[in-house]
Amino acid sequence: MKQQGKDIGLCLCKMCRQLNSTELTHCQRCQAELHIRDYSSLQKSWALLITAAILLVPANIYPITILTNQGQVRHDTIFSGILHLVNSDMLPIAMIVFTASILVPWIKIIGLSIYLCAISFDIPISKKKLMVGFHAIEWIGRWSMLDLFVISITVALVNMGQLLDAKPAPAATAFALVILLTQLAAKVLDTRLLWDRLEPQDDTN
Amino acid sequence: MTQIESPKVVKKKLFSPIWLLPIVALALGAWLGIKSIKESGIEIQIHFPSATGIDVGKTLVKYQGLTVGKVKDIGIDEDLKGVNVKVMMDYRAKPFLNKETLFWLVTPKASITGVEGLDALFSGNYIAIQPGKGSDATFFEAERQPPPMLIGSEGVMVELSSDKLGSLDVGSPIFFRQIPVGSVASYRLDGNQRVLISVFIQEQYARLVKKNSHFWNVSGVKIDASLTGIQVNSESLASILAGGVSFSSDDAAPIAQNGDTFTLFDSETTALGGIEVNLTMADGSGVNKGTRIVYRGINIGSVLNKQLSHDGITAVAKFEPQYGSLLTNDGVFWLEGADISLSGIKNPERLLTGSVINFLPGIKAQTAMPTSFILQSKAPDLLQSKKRLLTLTSSENMGIAPSAEVRYKQIPIGKVLSVKLTKDLSAVEYQLELQPEFASLLRSDSYFVPESALTVNASLDGISVKTRDFTTFTQGAISLFQGHGDTPLTANSNLTLFSSVDAATDFYDRQQQTHVTLVSQDGADVSQGSPIYYKKMQIGLVESVNWQSKTEDFAIKLAIDKQFQSLLKKPNVFWRNSAMDISASLAGIDVAVAPLQGALKGSISLGLLDDSDKTSSAAHLKLYESKQLALAQAQAIRLTLPASSKLAAKAAIRYQGHQVGEVSQVKLNADLNTLTATAYLYGEYAEHFSRSDCEYHLVDAQISLAGIKAPATLITGPYIGVLPGKSNQKSTQFVANLTASSYANVVEDALKFTLEDKNLGSMKIGTPIFFRGIKVGQIDGYSLSTQGNSVLMQAHIEPQYKHLVNQSSQFWDASGIKVDVGLFSGAQIEAGSLETLLAGGINVATKDTTQANNRLAAGAILTLQHKAETEWQDWTPSQ
Repeated sequence: MKQQGKDIGLCLCKMCRQLNSTELTHCQRCQAELHIRDYSSLQKSWALLITAAILLVPANIYPITILTNQGQVRHDTIFSGILHLVNSDMLPIAMIVFTASILVPWIKIIGLSIYLCAISFDIPISKKKLMVGFHAIEWIGRWSMLDLFVISITVALVNMGQLLDAKPAPAATAFALVILLTQLAAKVLDTRLLWDRLEPQDDTN
Repeated sequence: MTQIESPKVVKKKLFSPIWLLPIVALALGAWLGIKSIKESGIEIQIHFPSATGIDVGKTLVKYQGLTVGKVKDIGIDEDLKGVNVKVMMDYRAKPFLNKETLFWLVTPKASITGVEGLDALFSGNYIAIQPGKGSDATFFEAERQPPPMLIGSEGVMVELSSDKLGSLDVGSPIFFRQIPVGSVASYRLDGNQRVLISVFIQEQYARLVKKNSHFWNVSGVKIDASLTGIQVNSESLASILAGGVSFSSDDAAPIAQNGDTFTLFDSETTALGGIEVNLTMADGSGVNKGTRIVYRGINIGSVLNKQLSHDGITAVAKFEPQYGSLLTNDGVFWLEGADISLSGIKNPERLLTGSVINFLPGIKAQTAMPTSFILQSKAPDLLQSKKRLLTLTSSENMGIAPSAEVRYKQIPIGKVLSVKLTKDLSAVEYQLELQPEFASLLRSDSYFVPESALTVNASLDGISVKTRDFTTFTQGAISLFQGHGDTPLTANSNLTLFSSVDAATDFYDRQQQTHVTLVSQDGADVSQGSPIYYKKMQIGLVESVNWQSKTEDFAIKLAIDKQFQSLLKKPNVFWRNSAMDISASLAGIDVAVAPLQGALKGSISLGLLDDSDKTSSAAHLKLYESKQLALAQAQAIRLTLPASSKLAAKAAIRYQGHQVGEVSQVKLNADLNTLTATAYLYGEYAEHFSRSDCEYHLVDAQISLAGIKAPATLITGPYIGVLPGKSNQKSTQFVANLTASSYANVVEDALKFTLEDKNLGSMKIGTPIFFRGIKVGQIDGYSLSTQGNSVLMQAHIEPQYKHLVNQSSQFWDASGIKVDVGLFSGAQIEAGSLETLLAGGINVATKDTTQANNRLAAGAILTLQHKAETEWQDWTPSQ
């Protein structure tokens, strides 16, 4: 059995990555509070993830942009926007937007929920696979902001009154919250918990 | 090393506060969901005749610009007579979706009044909704046309009645003081006579429409072109193209209600009411529809129309209501156009705008509103009653036009009213009016003279050119000359217009001239206007020269100026002036040249006679040929001479060597044997030489040993000698002899007698008669006796020696040298004077003293002795 840090009386400061004795309550370098394991992070992550999942509904149902083109007002949801791009023969962009706006948030939420389930309910999943998945989610999650980024730029630049105008719709807020909350959910989770729970089962690997 | 593990308390938290987050999100989501369900909208169906311009998912339903719905689907009607359009209405529109709610399709419509539904051009057609009452409904029939604007509290809807729509259309603007306050909502026929136009006035302007408002059409452009510029009036661009309606508003009147009906007038003028008056005139030119009525330069009305009436032209004019109070019975209208004259153009803008009708209100208080006026042709003159009217007459029009100025010292004092022929067409009559203040200038002898625009005065002093102003050129002007009298002129007097000041002066001078008629044998080379001089000063003119057939002479009528009339009271004579008078004599040559004017026209001179006792009647005077004749008051005689006589005109008639007359004309008579000489006898001598027994004879030069007789005649030519007569009978016809009678040159009281001899011997005319060697007489002529046996010699003794000769006198020939040669007595030479030696002579001796009884009678014949007795020479009677 592999020896863990807590087993040898060492605790990592999550702030400055200083190894401290488990007996210390505060990091001897940065004076941050030391936790050998942060069990509350699991709850936080769950809460954030569930919130994000709830918000994902309005983000997809409600229009994300209001585009006024020659007096014609067009409400686009994320999906209708992608369809519009597809119809406009802009498939690559449609794919990028689809990936960033629909695929990534869903993957993140699903992935995180699997991750959290694995920790909470001791689901026997290969530790290695989980970690790879976790890193992938963390990395890709930030790209989901692409859509919001595009919207914010468009809103700032395209403002010609009745002729051509783009405005963010309520879904944009929801979508932004989804991205934010998933990111936070990934961030607050103390990944060391995974190791505690999965270590014994992982011996077989 | 041992470490003491400090106790570690782990507090197990059941729930983190973070769980609030999903709850909030959930609540939020739920709220949103509920809300969206709640606001999901109401689906209705609208039946349209066609789906043209309606797009699924695009076409919106709008109410007052607010989107309240969207077309969801279009389906064809079951009976294929239209389409059913499914519309998702906003949930808030639910209260409007009632039975009477109207839907219609709004499409972009570009018309003259404007682009309607411009938003539809960009946003696409949309379906408009007008909420109505009734129960809820979900199926509607779309309107074909937009409904008229809603009658509601937003504004006021009134109806205008007109006989034609004109250029009005739905949407044509309604103006109040050029501010658009509404628009034409709709129009429809009312019967087949009237058009009812529904007009919507916006809420904020609704109070402007009063019960008594007038509406008028302001369609098109009102162009007011005048010299001040061109003013284009229009309510708005839309009203130019699509018409418009304007209206008036009276503050006091009550506000109009919805549905009130008004009449739509053609123009503001007709709309605003005003007072209509009839203007009657004889000639309608210059008065047209729209001709303005002006009072002190302000438009107070205009002519609406003009038409022929039974008594001329009647124009209907409309006064603007606010000026109605100016209309009184004694108001005056007159037509006034542009007045072009060289002094300038008055009201030049009227060249373009046409004449205007001027109005002058009366002074009487307003009585009943008059309806008919007479349009005067010219402005009334307020001073008319005070102006002085005058009538001038002239033989012809001297370029004076009506309205020509009347001037006094070049100051305008009046003007010419009219120029016309007199009733009998014999003269031109001018009507003048003078300003009242100048009336006092008029005198009974005032006269008028036309102003010459250009006066060129060329004389030896130079040329002076005088011009007047331009109005004188065009209209002419007349000047008043006051006259000298102090009798004021009575009204409407008749004065004369003279062609010039000179003519006037002439006229008045002529009135004071004295007329003298002269009688002349010929026309005397004068004509009308020939001057009459007195001492080279013109004193008058020849007025006429008339042939008098009765007396076969000419009557020359002279007019003598007033100041010279006193000359006529004195004894005077007239003679004609020759252009040039050359009198050449041995005494010299005298050249007299008449004044140039007289030389050209012929002239007459007046001379005064010294004899104050001789009074001449001015009535019938004689015109003398020359000054000499005149001053001598010559009398004409006619002499008949033998043709051989070399008499010429101007030959003198002499008595005893003194001129008593002269020949004026010599003419060979038709029988070629005689000459007729017209001659004049000087007045003072005429008495003597016009007696019937006067003797006239031709005197020519005679050269003889005795000398040259009448040597002057060698140069001057022969003259006529005359012997006075004694007869009481007057005659003017005489026969002149070639030789003078013997006693032609003998004084009258000389002793005349005749000597008789056998032979004339050396006797000649002029042979002297000596008494004691002194010449006391001479032989005057000789002739043969009637029997031819002797020679009769007429002789005379000078009066002072008359008493030396009587019947006892003896005459003997003393001519030559008497040489008495005797043998013893010697030679005795007896001779008289040298003259007697040469020319011969006669001696006379008288024996007795002259007594009464032995006087020698005149014409006695005595014998001329050849030889003197010795004793005769001794006679020495004491005398």
